[in-house]
Amino acid sequence: MIPGLEALALPLLLVALAVAVLAADLVVPWRAIEPSGGERRGLGALVAAGLLGALAATWWLPADVVAVGGAYIQDGFSLYMQRIVLAAGVLATLGSIDHVDTRFPGRQGEYYLMLLSSLVGMTVLAGARELILLVVAFELMGIPLYVLAAMQKRQAAGVEGALKLYLTGAASSVVMLYGLSFIFGITGTTSLTIIAQGLQAGAFQDPLLVLGLLLTLAGMGFKVGAVPFHMWVPDTYQGAPTPFVAFLSVAPKAAGFAAMIRLFVEGMGGMRDAWWPPVLVIGLATMLVGNVFAINQDNVKRLLAWSGIAHIGLLLIGFGLATVESLGILLFYLAAYVFTNMGAFLVAEVVGRDGDDSLVAWRGLARRHPGLGLAMLLFLLSLGGIPFAAGFWAKILLFWSFWQAGMGFIVLLGAVLAVLALFYYLRVGRSMFIDRSEAPAPKVGLPMSIAIGLCLAGVLGMGVYPRPFIELAMAAAAGLLGG
Amino acid sequence: MNATALAVLVYPLLSFLLLGLVWPLRQNGRLAGWISTLAAVASFLGSLRLLWKVLEGEGVGSATIPWLVADGKVIAELGIHVDGISASMLVVVTLVAACVQAYSLGYLADEPKADLGRYFTWHSLFIVAMGGLVLAPNLLQLFLAWELVGLCSYLLIGFYWRKPSAGRAAVKAFWVTKFADMGLLLGLIVLYATTGSFEWSTPVPAAWAVVVPALLFVGVMGKSAQVPLHIWLPDAMEGPTPVSALLHAATMVAAGVFLIVRAYPLFEAAPPLLLAMTWIGAVTALVAAVTAVVQDDIKKVLAYSTCSQLGFMIAALGSGQLMGGYFHLTTHAFFKALLFLGAGAAIHATHSNSIHQMGGLWRSTRFSAVLFIVGAAALAGIPGLAGFFSKDLILEELLHAGQYGPLAMLLLSAGLTAFYMTRVVAIAFFGPASEGAAHAHESPPSMLLPMTVLMVPAVLAGLAGPLFAGLWNQPYHFALTPVGGLATLAALSGIGLGVLRYGTRSWASPLPEGPRRFILSAPIDSFWLAAWQRGLQPVARGIGWVDRYVVDGLMNAVGWLFLLAGEKVRALQTGRAQDYVLGVLMGVLAVVAYGLVGAA
Repeated sequence: MIPGLEALALPLLLVALAVAVLAADLVVPWRAIEPSGGERRGLGALVAAGLLGALAATWWLPADVVAVGGAYIQDGFSLYMQRIVLAAGVLATLGSIDHVDTRFPGRQGEYYLMLLSSLVGMTVLAGARELILLVVAFELMGIPLYVLAAMQKRQAAGVEGALKLYLTGAASSVVMLYGLSFIFGITGTTSLTIIAQGLQAGAFQDPLLVLGLLLTLAGMGFKVGAVPFHMWVPDTYQGAPTPFVAFLSVAPKAAGFAAMIRLFVEGMGGMRDAWWPPVLVIGLATMLVGNVFAINQDNVKRLLAWSGIAHIGLLLIGFGLATVESLGILLFYLAAYVFTNMGAFLVAEVVGRDGDDSLVAWRGLARRHPGLGLAMLLFLLSLGGIPFAAGFWAKILLFWSFWQAGMGFIVLLGAVLAVLALFYYLRVGRSMFIDRSEAPAPKVGLPMSIAIGLCLAGVLGMGVYPRPFIELAMAAAAGLLGG
Repeated sequence: MNATALAVLVYPLLSFLLLGLVWPLRQNGRLAGWISTLAAVASFLGSLRLLWKVLEGEGVGSATIPWLVADGKVIAELGIHVDGISASMLVVVTLVAACVQAYSLGYLADEPKADLGRYFTWHSLFIVAMGGLVLAPNLLQLFLAWELVGLCSYLLIGFYWRKPSAGRAAVKAFWVTKFADMGLLLGLIVLYATTGSFEWSTPVPAAWAVVVPALLFVGVMGKSAQVPLHIWLPDAMEGPTPVSALLHAATMVAAGVFLIVRAYPLFEAAPPLLLAMTWIGAVTALVAAVTAVVQDDIKKVLAYSTCSQLGFMIAALGSGQLMGGYFHLTTHAFFKALLFLGAGAAIHATHSNSIHQMGGLWRSTRFSAVLFIVGAAALAGIPGLAGFFSKDLILEELLHAGQYGPLAMLLLSAGLTAFYMTRVVAIAFFGPASEGAAHAHESPPSMLLPMTVLMVPAVLAGLAGPLFAGLWNQPYHFALTPVGGLATLAALSGIGLGVLRYGTRSWASPLPEGPRRFILSAPIDSFWLAAWQRGLQPVARGIGWVDRYVVDGLMNAVGWLFLLAGEKVRALQTGRAQDYVLGVLMGVLAVVAYGLVGAA
């Protein structure tokens, strides 16, 4: 057996799944052009089942094993992050099955293959402790996303959004690579472990290292959608297939945070003095910009895009604090965010199926489809941080960690912005519950019901009994920082 | 975790979830009723088993799970606390609940199906909540369950939601008890702030030793309808009669008494409060008994009687005698539930609440009349029946405590109790034949059977004194002392007076017209209304003004600012990809500039 193979089992499993999808797509005559009545959903079911298996496998995989000479590690932290992205993958696949079948029949293989490729990148990213692997994983994650964003290639908005994603992404990647080249130049190594050891020993006292660090930070800011690298977010979300947006809004963000934690906290935690102030400023700006821009949005996908940016701002500050508690809470927040945000986007997919994502389409949803209306209300309340939804614990714990760090002003700002956020979240709620509409009840297919049901279960479960989830997240963070 | 105790909660919980979630089941009212009733019966059998085990010394203790975690420690636990008190109380709650639910199947048979389904759904929830209250291992869970039973009470009082008066009564009950619960909540907060836990066994620092139980007692006064916070209970009679029997006579209103029994270590540390409790209880007993005398609505008589009997219990607890208060709680639950169900049978037969419309029911509904009269005799304190023993115990205990004033008031109340029950029986069952009674039919077996079941403990529960004493590890001796003699004398003379007065002239007013009118004008209600209109409303208006113009103004200003900002900054999001890339580069430049400045 090749040494380190057990460490790479998860990415390899996903690669195998991708190959299986490719083979199935070639062999089975699924490639009809017309939308099917449902018989061609097998591929999606295969992917969902495979991802679910991979997710389950994370509990059996050994922790603290390394591969490729230490470049890739599978520890508690990477497993936690991998669970998050895999959960997002399962939900996105379930939510995509009907969409793919009706919108681009015949190209399902392509869609799922890209999704899986991106997931491979994310899982590798969560365990990458070496700069080159980091870059490769980043791109492996990113490039399929460009393709997926442009799946609806005959729709101008889709292509436009994808192009914007690609252009800003390319620019950011260049900046990041430039920054990493500085880091390599000064330290002479690409191993984060060696860099960390060097920093601890007091080596690498060079201002150029700071420059490289900051350039890398700027490049990574794009991946998570931080201000001012965020402008692609609303346009891309608006144009891309909604189930994919649900995925895009959480999984790459989680993976991005994983990479940032690996690079800045694990690797270059010794230089926190240099990167913490810009992270704080970026985080604050992201919070503010996200909330302010969300207010006047009448398009629900754009609204959720801006609200997502606002959430990222909060998370960035939590990341910047870089204590075991704040990182643990960040990890819990990400888990809560997966269920909450994906749930909201999946409902948006159902409601906006006819191409109308504006609030008009949401009118009277609570009467037309009470279950869907209630589910969306719960997701919105969770996003707004109302007890007892998952988002409540996430937000209040994060605020608590800010308070512990002596940053009362951020708590105050966060509280004001939370009220503001409720305003725009509940605008959707008002549309659903108070406005009336004669439109027919939206139809929810079985896979989509399962996906939304899982999101609901997650939001409620983490909201009512958050303890085990918090403990899991805390353990992952503590393991990383050797706490 | 004690599986038997848990099972008591699980049956009604399952029933509640089933009825709550499965819509068609709830819409089919009768089936829902059967499910709920069976769950209640199962729960009763479970609690019997639990009591049996506890009597054998098994399974006593707490089992909790951590619930809220903050500051690195567990601040709240949920769980069950099994001992003689909770086990016996559970038996009472589930037995009455099972009887009441079975009775409701007959009593509410003509109601719309969907309403019936909701009714039984809330009933199942009530058993869960009440069970959670009884089994609570700490005050926080007790409070949660306390609020939950309050919610059930609100929902069930408003069962006849098409009747505006029922809606108003539900809201009144809610507001008054919520008002009192502010005290309870404050008490809990102070308790946690001073002791760092919600346990009743943790002593409170001396400075707060009176404040904490006093605040808790405010909540008790609301829930257990003590003067002057009793005003919601008579109005709560707008609910269906079985609800009155279960919630507003036997179990929920006794929650306050139960809280004191549980949290007694806290109350014990506050002697002035105990004295106040004795007096409040005695005043309540007397005031409510006097008020009951002039009521013509059979349910109102029973409601005031419940207030009065709760006053007995509170007075007993105040004089430091837990067992007497708790024993009376138990016996009262049985015979008062029986009385309410009997009253329901009379109402069912005559379609009226007024005792004058029931005249001569003895001839048409003899079986239920007998059951009612047995309940009345137990309440009046006829020797040998349940009420006699427990009331006697309370009076004895007051004598031992040297509380002669309250003792006299309670003796007088006991006499009045016998009098007003005699009045009801004389007019409703033996009075001149009325229109309603002429067409009356005996109730169906589904109503008579639960009543018969309840009659057994209403007669015999008094004999369980030694058993209760065993639960409390106290000696129990029963002896007909002078106090007991006095009490019996009071009861017999009350009955005698009643018979003399109503044996022949049924329509006579029990009191001279002036006092009667005064009492019927509900002076305490008027007091609260005036306090609300003249005292609270101006304050509320003031606070409302500050809230509207200062707090909201501030928030509106912030909101307006953000809206404006949102409008203005839209231009920044041009939608042109060049600008986006420019944005990235500007960001990079800013970060790099920062780096250069920072490094320099």
